[in-house]
Amino acid sequence: MNGAARNNGLARALLGAISIGSVLAAWWLVTSLELVKPLILPPPADVWTGFLDIWHGYLNVPFWNHFLASISVMLGGYAMAIVVGVPLGIFMAWNRVADWVFGPLLQILRPIPPPAWIPLAILWFGIGYAGKIFIVFVAAAVPCILNSYLAIKQTPPELLSSARSLGAKPRTLLFEVAIPSGLPTIMTGLRIALGIAWASIVAAELVVSLAGFGFLIMNGYRNLESNIVFVGMAAVAVLGLLMNVLFVHIERALLPWREDQDNG
Amino acid sequence: MQNDLSYENVTMRFEGRSGAVQALERFDFQVNSSEFLVIVGPSGCGKSTLLHLTAGLYKPPTGRILLGGAEIKEPGPDKAIVFQNFSLFPWKTVHDNIDFGLRINGIPATEREEQIKRVIHLIGLEGFENHYPRQLSGGMQQRVAIARSFVLKPRTLLMDEPFAALDAQNRQIMQEELVRIWQTQRPTVLFITHSVEEAVFLADRVIVMTRRPGRVKEVIDIAQIAGENHWRSDPFDEVIRRADFQDTRSRIWGLVKSEISVRN
Amino acid sequence: MADGSAEARAGRLSIEAAPKGATLGDWIEALPNAVRVSVMLLFWLAVWYGVVELFNVSKDFLPNPIDVLIRIVRLAWEPVGAGALLTHAWASIVRLMWGFAAAILIGVPLGLAMAYYRPLQWLVAPLFELFRYIPPIAWAPFAMFWFGAGSAAQAYVIFTSSFAPILINTFRGVQLVDSRLIDAARTLGAKSWTILFEVALPAALPHVATGLRIGLATGWMALIAAEIVAGTGSRDGLGYLILQGQQQLHADLTIGAMVLIGILGSLIDVSIRTAERRFAYWRD
Ligand SMILES: Nc1ncnc2c1ncn2[C@@H]1O[C@H](COP(=O)(O)OP(=O)(O)O)[C@@H](O)[C@H]1O
Ligand SMILES: [Mg+2]
Repeated sequence: MNGAARNNGLARALLGAISIGSVLAAWWLVTSLELVKPLILPPPADVWTGFLDIWHGYLNVPFWNHFLASISVMLGGYAMAIVVGVPLGIFMAWNRVADWVFGPLLQILRPIPPPAWIPLAILWFGIGYAGKIFIVFVAAAVPCILNSYLAIKQTPPELLSSARSLGAKPRTLLFEVAIPSGLPTIMTGLRIALGIAWASIVAAELVVSLAGFGFLIMNGYRNLESNIVFVGMAAVAVLGLLMNVLFVHIERALLPWREDQDNG
Repeated sequence: MQNDLSYENVTMRFEGRSGAVQALERFDFQVNSSEFLVIVGPSGCGKSTLLHLTAGLYKPPTGRILLGGAEIKEPGPDKAIVFQNFSLFPWKTVHDNIDFGLRINGIPATEREEQIKRVIHLIGLEGFENHYPRQLSGGMQQRVAIARSFVLKPRTLLMDEPFAALDAQNRQIMQEELVRIWQTQRPTVLFITHSVEEAVFLADRVIVMTRRPGRVKEVIDIAQIAGENHWRSDPFDEVIRRADFQDTRSRIWGLVKSEISVRN
Repeated sequence: MADGSAEARAGRLSIEAAPKGATLGDWIEALPNAVRVSVMLLFWLAVWYGVVELFNVSKDFLPNPIDVLIRIVRLAWEPVGAGALLTHAWASIVRLMWGFAAAILIGVPLGLAMAYYRPLQWLVAPLFELFRYIPPIAWAPFAMFWFGAGSAAQAYVIFTSSFAPILINTFRGVQLVDSRLIDAARTLGAKSWTILFEVALPAALPHVATGLRIGLATGWMALIAAEIVAGTGSRDGLGYLILQGQQQLHADLTIGAMVLIGILGSLIDVSIRTAERRFAYWRD
């Protein structure tokens, strides 16, 4: 049993290494034999120089400026989405009048994909930070609102009944039963929103920007420097991954009572 | 004996999408103070509805329910309810679950700690104060749920199939435990079960309800049949072998069975 | 179970002392959903109109809803770029279908094979993880390097966006098939192929359908992004209309196109949800 499991783990690691290894090898081989043009697939060495280029200030913009441009705008819009979206979702779920008033508005705004807001944001706010914060906000607010709404609506009725029976009044029911009970669902919404926020800022920067990873990628494209595009994409992916990992850790710390955790 | 809880012509209808359901019809009954009353009847006959009404979770359109002479107007800790699936707050530890009712009812902190200590001792869960519900077995969770209600010293304890989710062994243990805990304060208990054996073992009186719309079909005075030394004061597996116990059991089963129709 | 509904009712906040219809709120609640929603939508449109007219907002910034409606109607025959409304809607849908079809063609068989053949799972999963965190739209420049700045590049972006949910859901769908079903089939003498096509696949079908629905939704989102970012070569598509509105400072065109995108997106979502229910007809 145990031996088989260990063998499986080994086979898995081995096959994983083989697959990543062969992709890397194929990349190296195809580019060094010049089977494809560097524009189609930049050779590893070019990607490395592209990375150094960016690191030392591509087009005289220091790397950290790009980093800060993307991250700060994203976090700004994301924070606004949380601050507005979570209370709004909770309020709509708890109060039927709020549901009647805001529900239809949400239902018609929701099917408009976040990227569709980019031109309007430019029209309204120009090409600076305000427009991008707006885009991130619009994109991230939707999952924040929806999940908070669901979280409250899905409070197990028996928990509410039990609490009422123990003497809880509406305020207590909301703040001490419905919200804690829904917190996992709310956190899931925030995690989805984080991914959408990140993708949105990149999309917005691809359309118009003066710094940021989307700017790097688009500049690489315009100058036909596929290695710059490559590094930009990799940076976006790595940062996206890191933010997700960080979020999962925060989520765990906030919800020590969750069933899917193994510290028990 | 003094009568504690009385039902006067209680009727309950549910307006559903698929038409109205008459759950209870002219339910009339008097419950004695400190009585252990067990309710049996076919599924869907309105037992849970009766308990919810008694808990004050909603109000009957016609008829009245009086607790100690006053009409029940809202839920509260004097008529605490315990559900089949425990409905503990999963984000609170054992200690905090029990504390919830005390705290929201404005009991001072020092007294709360004393009370919590007392009931945790009573249910035999010392050492588990800081465990989360998911870390406990079903039987332990139900002990906590009982303690959470019991600590408020309710005048009436309402239990809706509290042991139905437990395996047979745990169920038997919990039946005996419940008797022991109950004896310390002797609140009036309304206890719903599907197990006729459980009913006969625990009850002072057993109500057999008709199928929907639920009404009292027959009342069996177990205390009288059992005589001076009530069955529940002896271990379950001894009692179950006694002839008078078995006779009562089959008589009640016959009554329930006649109400279960295949066509329902 | 019947019990559930009783509990749901018990969860209501206040004791239901008052009979239904006693307060204004109860009266409104008793109205059909469609009536309530329509009234509220009219209200929000009125707010929009009122704000624009009251504060004299420039039409280049925010036209009122009637202007937008007129623009949408005019769009039906007045060409912008490559053509009028139908041309653009059709271009978008064709692109979406190319990307989506490619995602199905690769995602579904690969998902099945991965669930069925473990070593393949171990081979593909790490690569999948490697690419997972790249937002689909970030593929646009490479797509344009590869396919030129036009429909093919846009379809590729859609493909990257639809592919992941389709693959994951198919894979999980087969994995989640109750192993007892497979054992039961085996004891009845079924061979591997029979099991795959008669047990695993039908049982996984609802998950596959869900994957397709999510894939189409994410694909739709990617389509609009792709038409805005990677649309330099093609002068059609609903996303192109939005962008044109912005570049020519015609807010009515931008907002009108957004409205159309919202409507079309909802229609697609509703129809695929209906289809999804068909796939899962044997569930409750
Ligand atoms: N909220 C509700 N809406 C509609 N019907 C309900 C509701 N609650 C209970 N009922 C119906 O009332 C009847 C009695 O339910 P219940 O009291 O839960 O039965 P029991 O607990 O005896 O099994 C059932 O037929 C059930 O379907
Ligand atoms: Mg019941």
